[in-house]
Amino acid sequence: MSDNFEPVIVGFLCNWCAYAGGDLAGVSRLQYPPNMRPIRVMCSGMVHPDIVVEALTQGADGVIVMG
Amino acid sequence: MTLSELIDVSGEAGNFTATVRQKPRYVDMEKCIACGQCSEKCPKKVDDEYNMGINKRKAAYIKYGQTVPLKYAIDAQHCLYLTRGKCRACEKFCPTHAINFHDSEKIFTFNVGSIILAAGYKPFDPTPYDHFAYQHAPDVVTGLQYERMLSASGPCMGHLVKPSTGKEPQKIAWIQCVGSRDRSRTTHSYCSSVCCMYAIKQALVTAEHTANKELQQTIFYMDIRSHNKEFERYYEDAKGKGIRFVRARPHTIEGGRNNIGVNISYCLEDGRTFIENFDLAVLSTGIEASEDVRMLAEKIGFALDQHGFVTTSSFDPVTSTTPGIFVTGAMQSPKAIPRAVTEASAAAAEASRALVSARGTLTRQKTYPPEHDVSGEKPRVGVFVCSCGINIASVVDVKQVVDYAHTLPYVVHVENNLFSCSTDAQEHFVHIIKSHKLNRIVVAACTPRTHEPLFQDTLREAGLNAYLLEMANIRNHNSWVHQKDPQRATEKAKDQVRMAVAKVSLNYPLKNLEVKVNPKALVIGGGVAGMTAAISLADQGHEVVLLERSERLGGNTWHINETWRGTPLRPLLEDMIAQVEGHPRITVYKNAQIKTCIGSVGNFVSKVEIDGEMRAVTYGAAVIATGAKEHRPTEYLYGQHPKVMTHLDFDAELRDHPAQVKTAQNVVFIQCVGSREPERPYCSRVCCTHSVQSALKLKELNPDMNIYVLNRDVRTYGEREDLYVKARERGVIFIRYEVERKPKASQNGGALAVDVFDPILQRDIQLPADYLVLASAIVPHDNHELVELYKCGQNEDGFLNEAHPKLRPVDMTVDGLFLAGLCNYPKPIDEAVGQAKAAASRANVILSKTTMELDAIKSFVTEKCDGCALCLDVCPYRAIKLEEYQRDGATHKRIVTDSALCKGCGLCQATCPKEGVYVHGFTLGQLKAQVHSALEAI
Amino acid sequence: MAEQPVGSIMVVGGGIAGIQATLDLAESGYYVYLIEKSTGIGGVMSQLDKTFPTNDCAM
Repeated sequence: MSDNFEPVIVGFLCNWCAYAGGDLAGVSRLQYPPNMRPIRVMCSGMVHPDIVVEALTQGADGVIVMG
Repeated sequence: MTLSELIDVSGEAGNFTATVRQKPRYVDMEKCIACGQCSEKCPKKVDDEYNMGINKRKAAYIKYGQTVPLKYAIDAQHCLYLTRGKCRACEKFCPTHAINFHDSEKIFTFNVGSIILAAGYKPFDPTPYDHFAYQHAPDVVTGLQYERMLSASGPCMGHLVKPSTGKEPQKIAWIQCVGSRDRSRTTHSYCSSVCCMYAIKQALVTAEHTANKELQQTIFYMDIRSHNKEFERYYEDAKGKGIRFVRARPHTIEGGRNNIGVNISYCLEDGRTFIENFDLAVLSTGIEASEDVRMLAEKIGFALDQHGFVTTSSFDPVTSTTPGIFVTGAMQSPKAIPRAVTEASAAAAEASRALVSARGTLTRQKTYPPEHDVSGEKPRVGVFVCSCGINIASVVDVKQVVDYAHTLPYVVHVENNLFSCSTDAQEHFVHIIKSHKLNRIVVAACTPRTHEPLFQDTLREAGLNAYLLEMANIRNHNSWVHQKDPQRATEKAKDQVRMAVAKVSLNYPLKNLEVKVNPKALVIGGGVAGMTAAISLADQGHEVVLLERSERLGGNTWHINETWRGTPLRPLLEDMIAQVEGHPRITVYKNAQIKTCIGSVGNFVSKVEIDGEMRAVTYGAAVIATGAKEHRPTEYLYGQHPKVMTHLDFDAELRDHPAQVKTAQNVVFIQCVGSREPERPYCSRVCCTHSVQSALKLKELNPDMNIYVLNRDVRTYGEREDLYVKARERGVIFIRYEVERKPKASQNGGALAVDVFDPILQRDIQLPADYLVLASAIVPHDNHELVELYKCGQNEDGFLNEAHPKLRPVDMTVDGLFLAGLCNYPKPIDEAVGQAKAAASRANVILSKTTMELDAIKSFVTEKCDGCALCLDVCPYRAIKLEEYQRDGATHKRIVTDSALCKGCGLCQATCPKEGVYVHGFTLGQLKAQVHSALEAI
Repeated sequence: MAEQPVGSIMVVGGGIAGIQATLDLAESGYYVYLIEKSTGIGGVMSQLDKTFPTNDCAM
């Protein structure tokens, strides 16, 4: 793996915690790499395993479910 | 209204004129977009009081990241321009021209029917405690400072360090009762009742904040007061995790060598003294009545008690002595969050009770144009990209995003706005939506968590369904967090817009559900809690059915003599029963038991067995107040010797045979009989106060009587501590015992005696006893049937559970059900009454509406469901049922979801192996569209 | 007690107790004035890191 590898990560963020946490990170200007594409869900429990598999097979380097 | 203070009240209950002074904010709330430019450019640094002075903030500031309202303010005491006439940097840089140095103090008068005081408390300031070196040693901090040090959003970002060196601490000590239970340095003889638990919490949470494996936490205490639901388990858990509890009140804290760390001097019960070195000392500072309360009291005329808390009574725990003025929270007495929240609801019930005839006269409803039908139309997507002044545009190349959005499928209109959230922008959007016949909208701006309702409203104004909107959060989740990488931030913004367009194209109109509400209430349990709830609900205008299992109302209160404040209970109880039985809107059924329940919030139907006959009862909400009972002990010769009694037995003895009690020479009380033991690991909360109160009663009857209270910790929390102080002054002797070394009761020819090890004398002693009073546990009734019936929860000890221990302390996990009194957890009468009023208030929120609107994000069943029922078990709200239906002459199965119970969490959707159930607005198709779209660029 | 009461209520203090009282009243048909001394609501609870006994985040 080369040093400049930039992973593409699909993130599922629970509206009530992780998504709110992401908002707070913004208000607090915490800096992090722009590799994740956020998808808001109403609960991390609604993320079907099939979606995770699909994301990976379609080329995502990682999937993060936060809740 | 922020920055506002109530300065005067005139008029009478039902019609007050309240005068409010609002200090200038110097920031126009309409214009401020909370971008933080003013704060960034402000040159003046000030101690941040929100973080207890641990760090600095600017003179242009917000209190904290999630402040509501999220609007900046200028601190007039420190602003350079307002104090010295020079600077105005914020004004220059504010992109929306929101800074207004001409802002001035305003006086408002409001006409209101009632006033609720919830002004809180002041954390005790330990600066005068010179023996604890708080001012001189940097490594001595207060509990609230430590709380900020631990907080991930606090000044240390959650990385715990010693203030002196910036290194991680290894040995941390907590000192309890700083500014509480202290009559030598302060006048605060009372217990602040929250510090024991917060110290234990901090000790436990500290371990999560440090990588240091050698971490040692020590708590110095006099009595651990973990007297609330699940608190005792928490305490036991802390002991199990190695937190060291030392029963000692340190007399001196000094800075360590070079003022790094601290040396704590203390003396144990057996008289041995120690000086021990720690890296950090946390002073568990207590609660103090604030000066504002005294000023308000003087102005309005309501009474305060000796400690400056607002005076209330046991049956009216939220009512001040001035009619129409109510009180809640720590202003009334020191208390933890659940009770403050409970009593806040109680105060709402009381404050509105007298105003029922005026309900709904001052609230307004908004109207919208009819909704345009978009079914059958091809998506016509409009994309609005917000610059947010420079908040987005300084990092993300907004023009590139706009150009890119034009290339996306179905997109027919794209534009860039300086501020998409401004009022004129909304009018513009309505115009654009109509003129371009847009039927799907994407707003690429900030977070939907704060702004989705605003834009949904705009869609409705334009005749579009509110759910045809998606937001792309290119500010909080992009420009603000990728400030150093504009190029990739722009790429990410394009991706976010593309994902939102992909999803919104699949969005379809959703209708918020409306459920008709039956305005009747059911109250189960006719004790003081149940009766209080019934009266409160009936006074709010609702028909109430009250069920009592036995043949008389009143429950346990018949057997108790007085409240902890010494108010005789019998007359109050008889009054209350008369009120319930005479109330035109309350129907009482005695010898009644609930047997079935169907339906959900707003519409329940139950069968009730009354004197053996079945009857149907319909109701929109229910309060469960089924109570609890006194445990019958099996130890200490209970049942074998007539003078061994429980509290209720002894109350009866005091009531019926006072002359006989008066002749007693020696009375022994044993605490925690059946509580805080492996088979019942909770504290029964009321028994310590009851014993102390009975002891005082005995001392009144005969001051020469010898009274011994054998205890494990004395838990006279809050202002009950004053009783404990009084009992010691009157000569009641308190002897502590360990659960591993319990006292032993024996009889010799009818003479009772108790053997116990005295930890101060360090030897066994024998106490003669004319009476042996056992502070027996409070145990729940068998709630099994009720739990089965309502599908509600109970804890391991059998007490019914609230939906959330802090924030929803009277709501049950099932919507429309509320609880009050002992069935929830042991508690004294004033707290049971407060909880009952709160339950009534919460039920009133439902019952006062003719229809209830539920949002549309709910599960729904698709054609593919084959009734495998995998989702039934995972649904946390029990909103899914299995049904049979006929098709082509055969019986099939499928699920049905109850929208009133469903919360839209989608656990069913994730569990279903065959796409048989989805959540509106978040279907598998919609989520997959976002995933595909996110990965399209690869 | 006034004969024709006013259908609005003032809540003084925007901490957790004041907020809860306000929500209950507003949701059951009364107009509420919530008065807070500082620049934002939330009170002391918002300053807490976590709450016992569940160790939930106080926010």
